[in-house]
Amino acid sequence: MRITPYVAYAKKNFLGRSAYRVDHFLGILSTCLQFFIFYEIYRALYGDAETIDGITMSMVTTNFIISMGLGMVFRPNDFFLPGKIWDGSISTELLRPISFKGRMIAENVGDSAFNLIFKFIPVFLIAFFTTGIHSPAGIFNVALFIISAVLGYGVLWSISFAVQMTAFWLINIWSIVTIKNVFINVLSGSMIPLWFMPEWIGGVLKYTPFSSIYFTPVQIYLGQLGTAEIVYKCFIQIVWIVMIYLIGDFLWNKGQKKLIVQGG
Amino acid sequence: MNDTLHLMTVYSKTTARAWFQYRVDAVLRSLAVFARESTGIIVIYFTLLKFNSLNGWNIYELLFLYSLIFLTYGIMIIFFTGLRDFGNMVREGSFDRFVLRPRGILFQIIFVNSDWFAAIGHGGLGITLFLISAGKVGVHWNIYNALYYLFAVIGGVLIQGAVFLFIATLNIYLIETGSIKELLYWNVRKFAGYPISIFNKGVQFLMIYIMPYAFVNYFPAQFLLRKEDMSQYPEIYLYLTPIVGVGMYLLAYAFWLYSLKYYKSSGN
Repeated sequence: MRITPYVAYAKKNFLGRSAYRVDHFLGILSTCLQFFIFYEIYRALYGDAETIDGITMSMVTTNFIISMGLGMVFRPNDFFLPGKIWDGSISTELLRPISFKGRMIAENVGDSAFNLIFKFIPVFLIAFFTTGIHSPAGIFNVALFIISAVLGYGVLWSISFAVQMTAFWLINIWSIVTIKNVFINVLSGSMIPLWFMPEWIGGVLKYTPFSSIYFTPVQIYLGQLGTAEIVYKCFIQIVWIVMIYLIGDFLWNKGQKKLIVQGG
Repeated sequence: MNDTLHLMTVYSKTTARAWFQYRVDAVLRSLAVFARESTGIIVIYFTLLKFNSLNGWNIYELLFLYSLIFLTYGIMIIFFTGLRDFGNMVREGSFDRFVLRPRGILFQIIFVNSDWFAAIGHGGLGITLFLISAGKVGVHWNIYNALYYLFAVIGGVLIQGAVFLFIATLNIYLIETGSIKELLYWNVRKFAGYPISIFNKGVQFLMIYIMPYAFVNYFPAQFLLRKEDMSQYPEIYLYLTPIVGVGMYLLAYAFWLYSLKYYKSSGN
């Protein structure tokens, strides 16, 4: 398998993103606003309390900065495949001598690299200077945080991948994608830190991939996990990536046989 | 007049037919809008399970506060879908057709399209939240309160409608306004689900005087609930919602009429 065409796709997307400046600044503004809303809410909730259940306000702030920041970086294009099915271009895409799935990943990696540099860093700096952020537990934690964040991205991407595959049968998957995003927003910890979830939800969450996306990296960053736990949690992340990817891949193989292109 | 009524019915029928042509998809879409809009509610619910109250507001009071946004938006969007999508109409040049027809332009825009999924999703959520919370927030529902509520809802619909009309009008001057709408409308709305008293002074100013969302839900809810944090605002604000609504709408409408004279088609 040659890697060059995929690098080219990634690069194309990276450069293509720089064309929409207004959109770009609004994205940053919108995430900052969202962050400040949650920041103010938790300040009101904490009041004079130093810690609640052993969690300090600064840990809450850090949870929001990291998970919202990573959320800006991880933006799988949920309509990549559906778009190609709608306009019929999937039929030519499949004839190309490169892997379609490889291209999906490559384009998204290009987007994410752009977001990392031009969205995550500004948002991180703004938050750092206005509200402050908990310092990482150590250099070792920072390295593991990066690995775990990349794995979290893998989990999020594979969920999107599997959901997109339903487009072979449903044509219009806007509703399913929207509902999927509701689950991710509520259960990943980016809108309510998972420390504060009711216990029964915590129990259910163990059997879902949602806490692997942002919350595992956050916990590693804050030094809440011992070495054994870090290894275990990263292993869980990998298990989720493989499992969800395999489901998606199964649908992908089935779907191609079923593919009906409307017009062309 | 009779003729206009007839036209309204025909328009409404065709719109409903177009939107509900694919039934399964229609149900799924309404459900998805409902779920997407519930996100904020679910987050508040879980948070309040842990913390009991937010600046003195308990969970039912917060849901009551939130319900007004969805209810007014749900009603507003039945009428103003055309204004929400006005930018597209101008860009594609399909707005020209409206200009040529022998009916009021705003009348046509209002009745030619209604996003029923959004209406059912938002409105349904608003009604659900109201039903859950209204009995538990200690409001004694008499005719006086009910009338106040009715006027507050009408005022809230007009305020949001005025904002849509204002942004739509900008399309006559600027071809692309998606980002202005995102900035002015959707971003500010993110604050509106919470009692504005928890935010800093700048945000409060924005929500009372610039994008007066506070009059859509915060002040009407305060009239009925009388929470402590009302003491930092003038008492009179409790009664202003309908006036703000009518005033803003008239202003936006005047701006619209004035701007139409400058409309230049983008068509080719």
